[in-house]
Amino acid sequence: MDTLSIVRGITAGDQRIVARAISIIEEDNDRSYEIIRSIYGMTGHAHIIGITGPPGVGKSTMIGVLSRKLTEMGKKVSILAVDASSPFSGGTILGNRIRMQDTLSRYGIYMRSVSNRGMTGGLSRSTWNIVKVLDAAGSDFIIIETVGAGQSDIDIVYLADTVIVTLAPGLGDSIQAIKSGMMEIGDIFVINKMDREDSFFALKDIMDNVYERNGWMPRVVGTNSLKGEGYDDLIRAIDDHRTFSVAHGGKRRIRYREEVRLALSRIVERHVWKEFGKLLESGEMDSYYDEHLDPNTVATEIFAQNNGLSQGNSVERRVEF
Amino acid sequence: MEAGKNLSSSRPIKVLLAKPAIDGHDRGIFVLARALRDAGMDVIYAGLLPTPEQVVDIAISEDVDVIGLSLLNGAHMTAFKKVVDLLKERGVEDIAVVGGGIIPDDDKPKLEAIGVTGNYGPGTPLSTIIEHIRKRGEEARKKKEM
Ligand code: B12
Ligand SMILES: Nc1nc2c(ncn2[C@@H]2O[C@H](COP(=O)(O)OP(=O)(O)O)[C@@H](O)[C@H]2O)c(=O)[nH]1
Ligand SMILES: [Mg+2]
Repeated sequence: MDTLSIVRGITAGDQRIVARAISIIEEDNDRSYEIIRSIYGMTGHAHIIGITGPPGVGKSTMIGVLSRKLTEMGKKVSILAVDASSPFSGGTILGNRIRMQDTLSRYGIYMRSVSNRGMTGGLSRSTWNIVKVLDAAGSDFIIIETVGAGQSDIDIVYLADTVIVTLAPGLGDSIQAIKSGMMEIGDIFVINKMDREDSFFALKDIMDNVYERNGWMPRVVGTNSLKGEGYDDLIRAIDDHRTFSVAHGGKRRIRYREEVRLALSRIVERHVWKEFGKLLESGEMDSYYDEHLDPNTVATEIFAQNNGLSQGNSVERRVEF
Repeated sequence: MEAGKNLSSSRPIKVLLAKPAIDGHDRGIFVLARALRDAGMDVIYAGLLPTPEQVVDIAISEDVDVIGLSLLNGAHMTAFKKVVDLLKERGVEDIAVVGGGIIPDDDKPKLEAIGVTGNYGPGTPLSTIIEHIRKRGEEARKKKEM
């Protein structure tokens, strides 16, 4: 499919073309950036909600309920859920969809599962660009579920307009949240599984520990996602935070800066890997082996030779005793 | 990552595993999910009881390369065919359909004829299944890139 048809399909909100476009974006090559470049002018409308929190607290279930409620209010919702790849094979079991499939089918909501491809930070590298596609497709809300690794799930702070930290009773409660650095990142805290024993203690615990950041006092909301309870409060909190962040406007600039930083790092990384490859091919390692030189000296010498730094004996090869 | 290898990527083969009928035998599909993940693929399990319509919707939304259908309850002839028909109806030609479970030998050529390949049963070495899914996935990927 040519780029023009893809761009037209995205802006028309055609789910099948959106799906294909996201695959191309995930490939992270020149084609991906051609698409982003073509749709960028049509982005900026969506409100991005990031949902993070430890595994098993009910993030995926929550997204099912939240997306249903927002859709019923006439909003167009899209969902992106990130799972961690296996460090051994690079393969990934994408398990978030199961919890929300009924809602997705009933309301025709677009949801996509992606692997983090070994990235730390709770998102995949392509998440940022996939969000652009969902945005250009006319979403009012884009809901992102992070990997859920706690402490390290911090990229969402840059990507999302509203960060929801989800916790559940029985996790060791606030102590856990404070220790894992989650109190710092939430605009809204949800205690899910309010049907559980001790849930009110957990709620109070978090309430006692939130504090105002940059003019916003985080909201604390209790939900029971099996029954859909507490969602009116949650949606009100999201709406309040959206109004607040639109008024303050700083978030989007921060995101833009981060996006440029990521794009730069990608270019630098490509460059570095290419040069690295050249160096590996250039060195005659076997001859060094026969000389019994230590590996760091060999690496220094190969690097120096290929960067025009080599001047006779400037690399100390051996220490004689 | 290997040095010097182009960062821009080969995306792993993406597989949707589903049981498109009322069948509670889910051990096999979990074994498969893990085996395919360990073979480097991206795997989505559709949960128990998705309808053929849901299976096709998910496959399209997630842009998978392969749909793996598993049934041990004897409903494969109708349920697998339904999935294939729906794909055809929606004009999807670049997703491969692979089957497995308890499938009598007599049914296998009939399934093959409508494009459902593999149809592996108990005792099939996982390596055979992985190889087959990879082959079919790569074929589908080629069609997508056309
Ligand atoms: C364990 C089992 C159960 C367990 C299931 C537990 C669970 N959560 O999975 C329980 C006790 C619940 C159960 C119940 C029933 N069972 Co039962 N069960 C079995 C049994 C003994 C083993 C199945 C199993 O788990 N195998 C281990 C897994 C790893 O292997 P697998 O599923 O075959 O999958 C492998 C391959 O088939 C292949 N494969 C499977 N799917 C796919 C998909 C693709 C795409 C590919 C490429 C490959 C592939 O790869 C897998 C990995 O190697 C089989 C007999 C048998 N030997 O197969 C009967 C069997 C499947 N059950 C049978 C029956 C009849 C029933 C019941 C109806 C019994 C009853 N009258 O109540 C109920 C129905 C349950 C329901 N709701 O659907 C019959 C089915 C007969 C038929 N199809 O004509 C069998 C064949 C027994 C028999 N010989 O009669 N069962
Ligand atoms: N009791 C109870 N269980 C819930 C609630 N929300 C989700 N769950 C269950 O918690 C488990 C984990 O849910 P999931 O959404 O997958 O959590 P995630 O890992 O955070 O995405 C599932 O078994 C859900 O059914 C809730 O409000 N109350
Ligand atoms: Mg989840």
